Amino acid sequence: MSATIDRDVVRPPDAPDGRPPAIEIDDVSRTFGIVRALDGVSFAIAPGEIHALLGPNGAGKTTLLRTITGLVEPDGGEVRVLGRPTSDFSSREFRRLIGLVPSGDRTFYLRISGLENLVFFGRLHGLRRAAAVGRAWDVLEAVELTQAAKQRVGLYSHGMQKRLSVARAMLMDPAVLMIDEATHDLDPDGALRTRRLAETAAARGASVVWATQRLDEIRGFCHRVTLLSHGRVRFAGTVPELTAVAMTRRYLLRVLVRDDPTASAREIVARIGAAVGPRGAVVPAGELDGSDVVLVLEEDAVLSDAIARIAEAGVDVLACREERSMVEEAFLHLTGGGQG
Amino acid sequence: MSDVALGSRAGSVVEELRKLPAFFRRDLLVMWSYRLAFFTDWLNLLVQIVVFFFVSRLIDPAKIPSFGGERASYMQFVAIGIAVTSFMQISLGRVVSAIRTEQLQGTLEALLITPTAPTTIQLGSVLYELFYVPIRLFIFLGLSWVLFGVTFEVSGMLPAIGVLIVFVPFVWGIGVLSAAGVLTFRRGTGAVGVGATAFTISSGTYFPVGVLPAWLQPLAKINPITIALVAIRRALLGGAGWAEVTPTIVLLLPIALVSIAIGVVAFRAALRRERRRGTLGLY
Repeated sequence: MSATIDRDVVRPPDAPDGRPPAIEIDDVSRTFGIVRALDGVSFAIAPGEIHALLGPNGAGKTTLLRTITGLVEPDGGEVRVLGRPTSDFSSREFRRLIGLVPSGDRTFYLRISGLENLVFFGRLHGLRRAAAVGRAWDVLEAVELTQAAKQRVGLYSHGMQKRLSVARAMLMDPAVLMIDEATHDLDPDGALRTRRLAETAAARGASVVWATQRLDEIRGFCHRVTLLSHGRVRFAGTVPELTAVAMTRRYLLRVLVRDDPTASAREIVARIGAAVGPRGAVVPAGELDGSDVVLVLEEDAVLSDAIARIAEAGVDVLACREERSMVEEAFLHLTGGGQG
Repeated sequence: MSDVALGSRAGSVVEELRKLPAFFRRDLLVMWSYRLAFFTDWLNLLVQIVVFFFVSRLIDPAKIPSFGGERASYMQFVAIGIAVTSFMQISLGRVVSAIRTEQLQGTLEALLITPTAPTTIQLGSVLYELFYVPIRLFIFLGLSWVLFGVTFEVSGMLPAIGVLIVFVPFVWGIGVLSAAGVLTFRRGTGAVGVGATAFTISSGTYFPVGVLPAWLQPLAKINPITIALVAIRRALLGGAGWAEVTPTIVLLLPIALVSIAIGVVAFRAALRRERRRGTLGLY
């Protein structure tokens, strides 16, 4: 893993030279029918910062990104870019400042090549054909797609399409780069490549908004995080601060049901769950082996008591190892997801 | 308006116009990737000519109007009708479906976050058809000439093209208006098809307007397609020159401008509504 991925850099909202935040979201609200998708959301992102917009499905992340890009009008509040309200910009001026990597798969013309797609979008950004072709090759090289440049996009893998999408967003070196759920269905290598592209953009001064529901990727990658749930900001700060909010304890148990060694994962979880009661929760550790479960205990619960109760319920604990997934716990705690 | 503002506006228009070839190239490449559909279209065209050639043998030429003092054959009459209305139907269909297609294939939002005016996107999306369909029209007339001896007045070609040029914006305006409806209601291409067929039937494409019921004839005569068709037939079958088609051009021009103005205003309103509701990407 690269050194940059491992860092825990914290940047202030204002750049050291006193420049305004690249983007400021000020009390933005949006309602769809009876659903309050965004409820007084406020935060700011400095130039060169990678800012995680974290939240479960339906938290309002995509709506917020669409509001920033102008695809959705807010009911209230204001979005400022480089210190100016978006209404101060002409729409043409404003759209040159932002790049968006949408979450959807199908955002390209699948019957034509990746190169032709990029040249087309480059021309819509006002580049002459020769300049658009040159720029398209530059960004294709940056996302390591030069070999596939002349292939139809319909033949690209999902990961390649995602990288092409990042390439399109980087065509004009935007001041604000928004990436919506870029890695949620990529393999680890594809996800790492995409994160590195975001880091490259941030290194040259762009503010990167990284919307995700994946917790594992924000540590050491994002400078700060805003956690959304049900359209509201539940947390704003650094990743270490997020984990400190709700640190709980997790244990990976290998178990065996004495009277039924072939018991299914569901039966094992149900039996252990009933044994530990309300002071803990239990979930399967993986799909392959039902005998591994994760036991999550409240801060003041005693592990040996829990194991004794599990044994009384006819389940032997063969092995026990402490697990730490603090960001995930913080996430569940703040979004209310751990109460079910 | 200050000189600076005017200059900036003119610069913006030029910048937007420069983007149009990119749409043309995109659609040419997409169409070429569907080579079979491309060739099937030409085959259909040929079949249509053959069918009407045999139908024309059943029609009494005395019932066909005369143009420039010469009585036209049914094949001559209908070939021009088919050429012009297929021009209208293909163009209209493409204008209506252009934005819908972008919406369905997920590219609409990607287009709208580029610094490109919605009008440019609309015009750009039909540019390929604006070139392809007239070429198709003239090849159709050429095939009718070569295969079945259906002759046309060469001297009337340019005046016919002149009428067609003012007819195109009328079709585009109607198409953009329909596209606004489809963007708003998500459905409606069927209704547009029914409307286009009604326009076509009452326009004298397949038979003279004189055979329509008496109550329908006044309506048919103010149908812009009828107006354009009559002038084009006069030019191509009767050899009418510029002097004879100019009144038609003068009549069609304001209709076309009104059609475009209504279409653009409606489309912008539909787009604004979608942004306000946040449903632009929904289909």
